[in-house]
Amino acid sequence: MSSASRRMVVLLLLGIACKEKPAGEASAPSGGALIGAALSLTGAAAVYGAQQRAGIQAAAEEIAQGGGPKLQVLIEDDGSTKEQGITVFQKFINRDKVSAILGPTLSNTASAADPLAQQAQVPVLGISNTAATGITDIGNYIWRDSLTEAQVIPGAFKKAREKLGFKSAGVLYGNDDVFTKAGYDVMRKTLADQGIKVLDTQTFAKPDRDFHAQLTALIGVKPDVVVVSALADNAAAIVSQARQLGWSGPILGGNGFNSPAFIKNAGAAAEGVMVGTSWNSLSQEPANQKFLEAMKKRGVNPDQFSAQAFTGVQILAEAIKRAGGKTGREEIEKGLGLVKDLDTPLGKFSFTPSRDAQHDPSVQQVKDGKFQIVQ
Amino acid sequence: MDLFLAYQSLIAFVGINGLLALSVYATLCCGQLSLANAGFMAIGAYTGALITQHARGVPFVAVLAASALLPAIIAVPLGLPVLRLRGVFLAIATIGFGEMVRLFFVNWDYTNGALGLVAIPQRTHLWTIFLALAGALYLLGRLRGSRAGYALEAIREDETAARTMGIDTTAHKLAMFVLGAAIAGVAGALEAHLTFMVAPSGYGFGRVVDMLVQAVVGGTAAFFGPVIGAAFLTVLPEVLREAGARLGFAPGPFRLFLNGAILLVVILFLPNGLVSLLRRRRAA
Amino acid sequence: MGQQALNGVFVGSIYALFAVGYTLVFGVLDILNLAHQAVFMLAAFAALLLVADAHLPLWAAMPLAVLFAGLLGILLERLAFRPLRGRADSNISGLISSLAMGTVFEAIALQIFGPDTSRFPHGTFPDRLIRIGGASASLLQLCIIAISVVLMALLTLLLARTRLGRQIRAVAESPRAARILGVNVDRVIAAAFFISSSLGGAAGVLFALAFNSISPDVGRSVELKGLAVIILGGMGSIPGAVIAGFALGLIEVFTVAGFGSSYRDAVSFAVLFVVLLARPRGLLGQAAAREA
Repeated sequence: MSSASRRMVVLLLLGIACKEKPAGEASAPSGGALIGAALSLTGAAAVYGAQQRAGIQAAAEEIAQGGGPKLQVLIEDDGSTKEQGITVFQKFINRDKVSAILGPTLSNTASAADPLAQQAQVPVLGISNTAATGITDIGNYIWRDSLTEAQVIPGAFKKAREKLGFKSAGVLYGNDDVFTKAGYDVMRKTLADQGIKVLDTQTFAKPDRDFHAQLTALIGVKPDVVVVSALADNAAAIVSQARQLGWSGPILGGNGFNSPAFIKNAGAAAEGVMVGTSWNSLSQEPANQKFLEAMKKRGVNPDQFSAQAFTGVQILAEAIKRAGGKTGREEIEKGLGLVKDLDTPLGKFSFTPSRDAQHDPSVQQVKDGKFQIVQ
Repeated sequence: MDLFLAYQSLIAFVGINGLLALSVYATLCCGQLSLANAGFMAIGAYTGALITQHARGVPFVAVLAASALLPAIIAVPLGLPVLRLRGVFLAIATIGFGEMVRLFFVNWDYTNGALGLVAIPQRTHLWTIFLALAGALYLLGRLRGSRAGYALEAIREDETAARTMGIDTTAHKLAMFVLGAAIAGVAGALEAHLTFMVAPSGYGFGRVVDMLVQAVVGGTAAFFGPVIGAAFLTVLPEVLREAGARLGFAPGPFRLFLNGAILLVVILFLPNGLVSLLRRRRAA
Repeated sequence: MGQQALNGVFVGSIYALFAVGYTLVFGVLDILNLAHQAVFMLAAFAALLLVADAHLPLWAAMPLAVLFAGLLGILLERLAFRPLRGRADSNISGLISSLAMGTVFEAIALQIFGPDTSRFPHGTFPDRLIRIGGASASLLQLCIIAISVVLMALLTLLLARTRLGRQIRAVAESPRAARILGVNVDRVIAAAFFISSSLGGAAGVLFALAFNSISPDVGRSVELKGLAVIILGGMGSIPGAVIAGFALGLIEVFTVAGFGSSYRDAVSFAVLFVVLLARPRGLLGQAAAREA
């Protein structure tokens, strides 16, 4: 590099280095903790990041009002890419010196950024990472409150089979997205384990909006049930188009369907769709009701992502409590290990020995434009 | 020291993006707009990751060499027909290649499709990246003023005239295409061993567009221009992040907006890139 | 089989309408307008706002949204393309500046509407299913196919029969010659952009109606397919883009039916590749795509 350009790069970096800390920036509130949240606010996962932000902010407010520890949450955009995720994590760890990190939104980003936190011994609580492996395996500072599909689907499918009695299936899944691909892997294994014959499998990509070709092919082989692993936006379109093409049989969906946006966008076509979900939106438990109210107050539609984010903040608060009110990194790490049967919108929450989430999943079906629990 | 740690990754990404911008420059400097390098980067990244994961003992240098070699080899049968196309057609053909590579990895079960490969040991250090960058800069810098360099400039100015003058345009263009592929492959492997994982989502159309933009914004008049562009455009979003927070903007669309606006301003008012700013100052 | 053919024609009609705008600008200016997909997206949002918030009926909202798209096209031309016109590397810099504008448009949409997917309110278009042979199509799908075809026919007529059309063709052939002949090249180019973006906007509104999906990134999925279409049809050729649009729609659908959907997108790009290598000027194009 010539001296001139080298000078310029150095100047740029010095420029960042010499910036003063602006007023009101990262410093832990007295008696409270500084938490970093790396969320996808732009890019492919922006829809989930926005929901997560709402959940986190609602929870922090509720906890502070309820006399819990004061949590100042720094929210940064990880752009749905691993590069920004890594940069944000490093900023949180070394510059803002947070006590714990929530997120990142995507499992792909997590497998790139979490190792940094592990190395620096900063606890990370994943609130939407559903990849079966490669998350909590990274190390003992990595935790998550999001159930993997492996914990949700087998039970959901078993119940669905009890109700509907199907023997063959047609499967449609998004193969370019970690959420839906991980979901599909579990669905395929579950169908095999339960002895259900898969007559045809079709795929789609997340940006797709037209599913007529794949659905026509699936309907053509006349399965007993159509199984779909998709996220809410695609799910609504898939279900509408399936009904339009004349499919009146049952449709079984994964975690991604668990969103009011799904019912809103699919309209009448959503009737009868069965969903295995990690968040029971209908739970009457006070923890869930408080969550629903908090979201309503903010004018945000509650969904699985916001529920898991809200729970994440609650878990951190509980960890601090268990650590005797101390808010350092080591204390929160120890405190996380002591969280047991915590009342959250997700139900009674504990961690498994491998720091994954543990709570009861549920099976729901759309009836009269609303999700209902399948007993 | 803390500041350095806080921005260590950023510095690393500046280096990697610099390499990628140089890989695009390799073909731009002879007038070819090739957008295939995200595909070559993916091939290099996966090659490196697979070797590291399945053949533990192989030294990192050998891994990097393989990640440069495989894309280079693929570039030859790809380049021969494709480089005959002009301008935008070459761009589109290479975009198509890049997409096909991405789709290949999305559908390949051996590498877990969209989930990609995780838990790749971190074998890349800052010095590895900047050593590679220095190497690439040296190679490309040496071209200027050399006979090959003049040939490339001639091809860029007017390819038909260059051919009539006896320059083997096909060989020169292909050589630069292959060089670009090799550099992109190395960058991919370096990044894979820095960020612990590879996944197809990182190598799409958006990625190659970023590379192109960095090369052009930096300026292709000088061989180090693309690196300046890479440094500027890698650091800019982070500077904007801080600025946005200070100004009270919520993170998100504002940064995207500024990225687009700044790109527009540079392309409209600084057509030869940021490098032209330096030139001007030197001449004055 | 019949159902799949119908599916192919349906998605093809939207591809065709989108590509026609793309190829028009390329024919005239030799530049790939990467902001076309952003205009596509903004028009869909405009229609949504008009229907959902201003409570306009669809038949009023759509032309307004299309007009809005056309005006965006003029803005785009003025801001991002005209300043670059003299430059030697104008197709690369044009590509980049259109990309920048596309990013700016997307950021604005993201700021105003957020990342969520919206849909037209229920009842915007009557929900009716029609059976043709063994296949079922919605009234909406048939209308979309019809509107696309009509718009493309109008464009062809405009280019062939009207004075403006002749001027556009002249500028596409050689801007310098056209100017010598007294054509106001600046105005013609602006008109071409207006038309191109209007068609792109129409495609956006129809797409939004067809799939009930409006989000800031909705243009991404069509952008690269659009490239395949204009290459297959021949850069600069309107009839080529139309035929290629339908052809690609059918090819995609039958790939799914025959081989499985994982190959669907790969097939579009394979088609693009094969065309570029075997017959770069596409089905009906004239532009010289090779060096010698």
